Amino acid sequence: MMKRAMWLKASVLTSVFLTGAVLTACGDDGNNAVDGGANGEGNGEEEVTVRLTGWQSSPTEQRYLEETIEAFEEEYPHINVEMDTIADQYMDVLQTRLIGGEAADVFFLDAFEAPRLIEAGVLEPLDDYITEEFDVDDFEEPLIEAFRRDDQLWGLPKDTSTLALFYNKDHFEEAGIDAPPETWEEMEEMAETLTVDNRYGFGVVTDLARLYFIAESHGGEVTVDNQANFTDPNVIDALQPIVDMRNEKEIAASPADVGAEWGGDMFGTERASMIIEGNWMIEFMEDAFPDVNYGVVEVPTINDNKGTMAYTVSYSMNGASEQKEEAWQLIEFLTGKEGMEIWTSSGLALPSRQSVAESLEYTDEAIYEPFIEGASYATVWADDTNLPIINSNFENQFASAFLGDQELEEAMEEAERVANNEIDN
Amino acid sequence: MAKWKLSKSQLRETGQGYLFMSPAILTIVVFLIGPILFALFLAFNRVNLLGDVSFEFVWFDNFTRMANDERALIALKNTAFYVGIVVPVQTILALVLASSLNAGMKGEKWFRVIYFLPTLTSSAVLVMIFMWMYRPDGLINTLLSGVGLPTYNWVNDPSVALISIMIMNIWATAPFFMVIYLAALQDIPDSLYEAAELDGASGVQKFWHVTVPLLRPVTAFAVIMGIIGTFQLFDQSYMFSGGSGGPNNSTLTVVLLIYQYAFSNNQMGYAAALAVALALIILTATLIQRKLQKDEQVY
Repeated sequence: MMKRAMWLKASVLTSVFLTGAVLTACGDDGNNAVDGGANGEGNGEEEVTVRLTGWQSSPTEQRYLEETIEAFEEEYPHINVEMDTIADQYMDVLQTRLIGGEAADVFFLDAFEAPRLIEAGVLEPLDDYITEEFDVDDFEEPLIEAFRRDDQLWGLPKDTSTLALFYNKDHFEEAGIDAPPETWEEMEEMAETLTVDNRYGFGVVTDLARLYFIAESHGGEVTVDNQANFTDPNVIDALQPIVDMRNEKEIAASPADVGAEWGGDMFGTERASMIIEGNWMIEFMEDAFPDVNYGVVEVPTINDNKGTMAYTVSYSMNGASEQKEEAWQLIEFLTGKEGMEIWTSSGLALPSRQSVAESLEYTDEAIYEPFIEGASYATVWADDTNLPIINSNFENQFASAFLGDQELEEAMEEAERVANNEIDN
Repeated sequence: MAKWKLSKSQLRETGQGYLFMSPAILTIVVFLIGPILFALFLAFNRVNLLGDVSFEFVWFDNFTRMANDERALIALKNTAFYVGIVVPVQTILALVLASSLNAGMKGEKWFRVIYFLPTLTSSAVLVMIFMWMYRPDGLINTLLSGVGLPTYNWVNDPSVALISIMIMNIWATAPFFMVIYLAALQDIPDSLYEAAELDGASGVQKFWHVTVPLLRPVTAFAVIMGIIGTFQLFDQSYMFSGGSGGPNNSTLTVVLLIYQYAFSNNQMGYAAALAVALALIILTATLIQRKLQKDEQVY
């Protein structure tokens, strides 16, 4: 706390960074011109470096990505890919780099955040680069749709992840339940049987990213015209059971309730018998909790409707890139059939191309099946420019309703009011 | 008038003086005065830096917006609550620690070192350690339940999250002021205590009537520095909440909000306006404190 020198700066925090940003931006413009001239001629065989920025959630992921990039470099020997990862607060860092003119040529972009960057005009539209051979129609329609805006394509989905229900087989056996639940009602009943003193039947992750499809399962809409619409009675009706499971029936808890870092931690340490999590859990469980005997099924149906979430991340191109041609070649390879096959063979993420999904064979088919099935009816976690604001306000208020500090209806009213107030400003 | 006319040699001397000062002046202008002026400029503009850079002069819009910004009010409330608790507690604690270490106990040099260690720890490391201890099944809850006290979800319960940060910061900052108090304590002449003893003062009376009044200038320093430091709480609440200020905005502080607007929401103008407002608040708080203790200003 007593870092006065530092905090003196902090009181003018914005301006310090800003001056820096503006200065570098100006400086770079000059440089670009020079670099562009030097590079422009030697497009042929001269070595070109393309920078790629992303995040990394596990060493395995890193290994597979490196493998994919090696395959690319083999095919395009004159292109050298320089990969760097942003460990935390990816969007803040990326945005600051874009402002400063320091961003990579190609970067990961979550569908959830994409509209804001597209609107800002910092991305390169990809339509003109796409060839017939690339077969853009092969991508799953809802996934690629998340990156289309103003009739242009601003990124190509590198993969997708969906949610499914993980259940602990040993707990089920103990409780004398022989089959995993198929409907939400069954799931609640089982959760009740499964709850014992130090263990909850069901783990709930309280993010909007996870609950979006549940919130809309009764016919309500969470966002309308790029504004929050949480007070829709259908939305509240749909979310109420989740809150009741914790506060009335006491058969569910969030990872934070039991001191777990996230859902995987909660399920792995056997403090929840069931949890809705993504396919990234599979590798995590194998690494961290190989002894937990679990199964995966599709998310239980709500009102006889199947539902789940799908997340997708694209490779997008920096509009200010100096090597657009090479940058495209990288994107083309990574999201092309060959590159995607290498990348998604890890099982960490599912292919976003139909042809790859069909040809890919997983060693443990039964575990992957529910995720692949889910992709066909999933709600994609993407909306419009204001989704991040809507999301953070939902999270804040829903968490407090979930903890029982206020009624869900009140919380949703508050969340909607604050979110839309922030949007209007 | 004549005063202002300088002879040639005087001019040269002045010129030399400024020449020697120029590195310092240049640094101050570029890194201190420039940014402050620029921040002021930003505060009156709607700024977009991403994509097409634009500055649009909007008069006081950024400032009037604060009145309707729920999160700004929450942040201010949280910060004020934090200052109101942390500053008195850490100052009193520092004074008590310093006096006990000045009482001539055995091995007090060692205790000084041990007490000072938390201040030397980087705040990031400190937060990591505390978050680990604050876990529902962590050290603190184990100790509490061990002696039959209620346990808390320190990090994730909105009603205690800010208090968890307070405890952590008091623990880390009090020793810093303790050292300053210690130095001041050694400056109090023994003769005053002897005189008090001759008058029949007890230990407590000596503390209240000799030690505390003579430490007033140092207390003023500790309080002002404490106010400035606590109003600018950022790193601990950032790490505690992963940058969100949650759960339920309970750890949202003004500087964290400024960060969010500047770097996540791309609203530099409004962020700068908030920073200016915070600077004014701190200035006011400091001036009030100085008015209340107008004698003996040593800082």
